[in-house]
Amino acid sequence: MPGEMNSPSGGKTDYTNATLRPITIKQALDAMQPYPEAPYQIDSAEVASVTFIGQVRNISSQSTNVTYKLDDGTGEIEAKQWIDSMTADSMDTDDPNNSTSNNKNQVELNGYARVFGKLKSFGNKRFVGAHCVRPVKDINELHCHLLEASAVHLFFTRGPSNAQSGAGAEGGGMKGGDSTMGGVGAAGDDYGAGKGLPAMSPVAKRVYHLLKTEPQSNEGLHAQLIAAKLSLPMPDVARAGDELLTAGVIFSTVDEHTWAILEF
Amino acid sequence: MSLQTPRILPSHLHAFHSSSTSGPRSSHTVRILGTVTALRGDTATITCGNNGDVTLILKPDSHLQMGKLVEIVGKVADLEGGGVGIRVLGSMDWGNPADCDYKIYEQVVNATHRLKPIFYDE
Repeated sequence: MPGEMNSPSGGKTDYTNATLRPITIKQALDAMQPYPEAPYQIDSAEVASVTFIGQVRNISSQSTNVTYKLDDGTGEIEAKQWIDSMTADSMDTDDPNNSTSNNKNQVELNGYARVFGKLKSFGNKRFVGAHCVRPVKDINELHCHLLEASAVHLFFTRGPSNAQSGAGAEGGGMKGGDSTMGGVGAAGDDYGAGKGLPAMSPVAKRVYHLLKTEPQSNEGLHAQLIAAKLSLPMPDVARAGDELLTAGVIFSTVDEHTWAILEF
Repeated sequence: MSLQTPRILPSHLHAFHSSSTSGPRSSHTVRILGTVTALRGDTATITCGNNGDVTLILKPDSHLQMGKLVEIVGKVADLEGGGVGIRVLGSMDWGNPADCDYKIYEQVVNATHRLKPIFYDE
């Protein structure tokens, strides 16, 4: 049962979430922890590894680590890369010590660099524990990254785009701030833009979408089944259900954990 | 909070001018991308794809080269001859303009200004 993995006692090392998420530095700074020591969340989705591109404002080399200060126009954050003496003379091309052979792979001051790592904090200071820092030489990569971060943000806040609403989300569909995400959808799409679906958490939207699309009897679907289908922990599904019940878009049928779409 | 430098196109210059009262923008520092098309000592001109030109007020140690694609970080300022330009704070040479698809940059500017929650504070 995947639910047990996310329980507070499970600690923060969740090896089942091996995703790499493209983000902006502002998102890294705004990332929340639901409780102390918990994994960071961006757009209510847990983040494991992140990647971002920024301009290197400062490089400070110590004997055990190299700290880069990066700025991508949305904020500033430090990335700390530990120097592993075991790999210092291996083929690890991103290793900062390895400047003798490969100047091309050297991160330069005021040049752009891409960082892969995990969000960390020390005291009140947020930083990124970097696995890899490498220079960015093609400006298209920078622009592509920013658009990718936008697309992933939209995926988590409004759900996956399908063929029709996808075009809308990239172009004219996204007016103003996305806090008004409930109100913008005009396409005949029940999910992403949410026709008549009020603003709610991404999990609630996924549950709603499943209820809408899954073949079912008029009794609807049980929460356990929804949790299994979406590979979500039971408490999250229950919370999503509460949200949808409060919003009045679903109703409970045979018992309080069996829900169907309320259509009128 | 750290300093933010929104990416813009020439048509957005007026919105980041210090006299602009439309919007509670605290900083007027912006980022812009263009090809260097004229150098006149302490000023220069960059061309931003099909979006027009911007006049730059250079600082003594800005080393811009003709025909190169540059990313400028600077403050929106009044020009002596009227109009608005950018006072350069920093520049980054991206080499040959042919290696950059300016259309992608236009989309980036568009996306960054629509998706405030992940790019810029209001």
